[in-house]
Amino acid sequence: MEKLLAARLHAVKVRPYLAAALFALHVVEDRSVPTMAVDAHWRVYVSPGFVARTPVEELAGVWVHEVSHLLRDHHGRGERYAREHEEHGSGERLRRNIAADFEINDDIYGDGLPLPVGAVLPSLLRLPDGLLMEEYLRTASMTGLTADLAWLDCGSGADGQQRPWELGPDGAHGLSRQQRDAVRFRVAEGIKGRPGETPDGWRRWADEAFHPPQPWRQLLGAAVRSAAGAPGVGENHSYRRPSRRSAGVPGVLLPSLRRTPPRVCVVIDTSGSVSDAELGSALLEVAAISRAVGGRRDLVSVISCDAAAGVAVPLCRAESIALIGGGGTDLRSGFARALRSRHRPDVIVALTDGQTPWPSAQPPCRTVVGLFPRPAHAVNERNPDYTPEAPPPWAHVVTIG
Amino acid sequence: MTFSTVLPAPVPAAGTSAPAPVRAGASATGTHLALADDLLGLLRTTTTEPRPDEQLEALTLAVAADLPVLLWGEPGIGKTAALTQLATSLDLPLTTVIASVHEPSDFSGLPIVGDDPAVRGVPMAPPQWAVELVRAGRGLLFLDELSTATPAVQAALLRVVLERRVGALQLPPGVRIVAAANPRASAADGWELSPPLANRFVHLHWVHDREVVVRGLGGVWPRAELPRLVPERLPEAVAFARRAVCGFLEARPTLIHRLPSTETRRGGAWPSPRSWEAALTLLAFGTAASVSREVLALLVRGAVGDGPGLELLAHLDRMDLPDPESLLADPAAAELPVRGDLRQAALEAVVAAVGARPERERWEAGWAVLVRALETGAPDLLVAPATALAALRRDDWEVPEAMERLVGVIGLARRADRSVGRITAGREQGVRR
Repeated sequence: MEKLLAARLHAVKVRPYLAAALFALHVVEDRSVPTMAVDAHWRVYVSPGFVARTPVEELAGVWVHEVSHLLRDHHGRGERYAREHEEHGSGERLRRNIAADFEINDDIYGDGLPLPVGAVLPSLLRLPDGLLMEEYLRTASMTGLTADLAWLDCGSGADGQQRPWELGPDGAHGLSRQQRDAVRFRVAEGIKGRPGETPDGWRRWADEAFHPPQPWRQLLGAAVRSAAGAPGVGENHSYRRPSRRSAGVPGVLLPSLRRTPPRVCVVIDTSGSVSDAELGSALLEVAAISRAVGGRRDLVSVISCDAAAGVAVPLCRAESIALIGGGGTDLRSGFARALRSRHRPDVIVALTDGQTPWPSAQPPCRTVVGLFPRPAHAVNERNPDYTPEAPPPWAHVVTIG
Repeated sequence: MTFSTVLPAPVPAAGTSAPAPVRAGASATGTHLALADDLLGLLRTTTTEPRPDEQLEALTLAVAADLPVLLWGEPGIGKTAALTQLATSLDLPLTTVIASVHEPSDFSGLPIVGDDPAVRGVPMAPPQWAVELVRAGRGLLFLDELSTATPAVQAALLRVVLERRVGALQLPPGVRIVAAANPRASAADGWELSPPLANRFVHLHWVHDREVVVRGLGGVWPRAELPRLVPERLPEAVAFARRAVCGFLEARPTLIHRLPSTETRRGGAWPSPRSWEAALTLLAFGTAASVSREVLALLVRGAVGDGPGLELLAHLDRMDLPDPESLLADPAAAELPVRGDLRQAALEAVVAAVGARPERERWEAGWAVLVRALETGAPDLLVAPATALAALRRDDWEVPEAMERLVGVIGLARRADRSVGRITAGREQGVRR
């Protein structure tokens, strides 16, 4: 027991941001557990024999490994995966456990935590590092592995399936769902509070733990829809046709609310840094969305823009647009061109990687920015101090890809 | 105009089933239909069983607290069924209005010309469902399909939800408002909820429970036990809720008002003075009804959003920690939390209290608290507080006997240090090689 706790202290020392989660675990000694395992209620089951034959520093690695299963909600995700794909049974349990281990093991070791003997890594199956458990489950068959890894068992905390030794939801010292969320939230906030000290994998987890990323198509759609549909866009009172209320008010001419379909202008960043495939998919999406909000195809125009803006081309056939450009970017000229055109647009959708200066003032129409993500430390060879500005606060920003 | 009024139907008592009487000897004409009716009657005869259901408890509590609730859920998941059950158990008539098929004027009122418009003005007439609600004096107004209502209708609904006004008509205080919306992922042609409207609701995510559905289709639906307010606890509950929310916002003033900035969070709950007031109300109701922390968490996160809600709950956890001064006053009887991270937080609070007013007796009492913690729990939690407490020692203070008993803890810390040292040494060796 003392050895196990010394190992926990070791883990806390080298991973201080996991301290709250490590201390929140309740230790249960059990001889029927193969090594160490966790359940969904944040109890950790430990085999005394395993502790006796494992050095302290390796035990510290196991602590971090087990708590990672819980922080990353592998039991909930494992259960969900099993339900969606109707995969139950012991072989499937093992597969989920291995996939969960892959997700954890490729980024928690090193830097004070030695890789334990027998830890499974994605490279075993020649898979790339850094994927999620679900991705490993989808891509890998893992049939070759199962025979010699049958002892591997991280408990229901890793795959969502009850084990005979577990105390279950009613047992003592379990954490309720709200308490688990609270601990995970504290750890995530701690990691976000000290950027730079934590590895990328954990930072990514902290960012997404409580706000899972949403598919960009839906977000872009909702952003364009709300921009094109907001009151004041393409909609005004008109005396061309009397309001239906007029029937109840004889002798009074009331204006009716008329709606003209919104004009959408897509400004496309055609500088060298954006790939054709990215642009193609995003453009098709914008066209489809603007049709869905009542825009006719001839009301959607496209401006390709690198350092200078091209001419606004009506989007009559998606395949007919020639995207010209390739140099540096200055989207300001694209915005100016869009606002100068004969029919001023109601919505401007800018598709860009964000490596551009932005207009200093808010344009007189709604703006949606579809942003292709780029690594945070993009460098400009000619000007090493150059950091691209973030999109301005008046734009709806949707990250694409 | 689409609306329906459902009066509460008598609920069959739990555990008993009342099969519809089978008509014998019906006339030849209409026999088929009569038989069909009999079959339908049998199918619709279901019973209920008591079953704890957190989301239903949360919904009931928010409705009791007279806060508008917005249920997010995939189509066909049983939001309407839950509402019907809620109306029955609260004994309120249910009025359903499908927001997406209405025009803005149906909520803001239709102009009617009176005798002398120049003198009397043009009154805005309310629709029929509103008039009937006012006539009944109480009821549950269910605004369905909120997310597919156009922005103009949403703007008109702002007044209905906040001020309870439909045209010139004021809805009586006995009317409770519940809305439902489909999440953006499943509403292909939906509009997003505007932030002002979203801020007025308590957002609850409605999910189905596999077991409940299977058992319900088998004829037994769950009947949630409604949370009951305990009369004696009311003043205490209000005091607690005020202390919790005010204390928290004093510590985190940036969370008082924060418009949703990213696209993913739009249309959901976000913190503002209005939604904090809702959270305070919910906290008071939850405390007075002694609901579980789970239900409280659903409600608070639904009112102010996930992040601020979780932080408030963490603040509540800290409020539950024992007071450091009373621990220092009587270390032998100290009751420390069982959970490791909370226990460590309590011990660190004790050390901080000693550090704030360092006196020899208090310092020694601090050691006594640590010894008590050693006797009742895991020793590795004590390393950090013991190191901090030792650092507070003044030169003329003698080492208390209690400190000797923590030698084991220091041994544990050394062992961990040695193992960390071995790793770094091993790595340096590896580099040299």
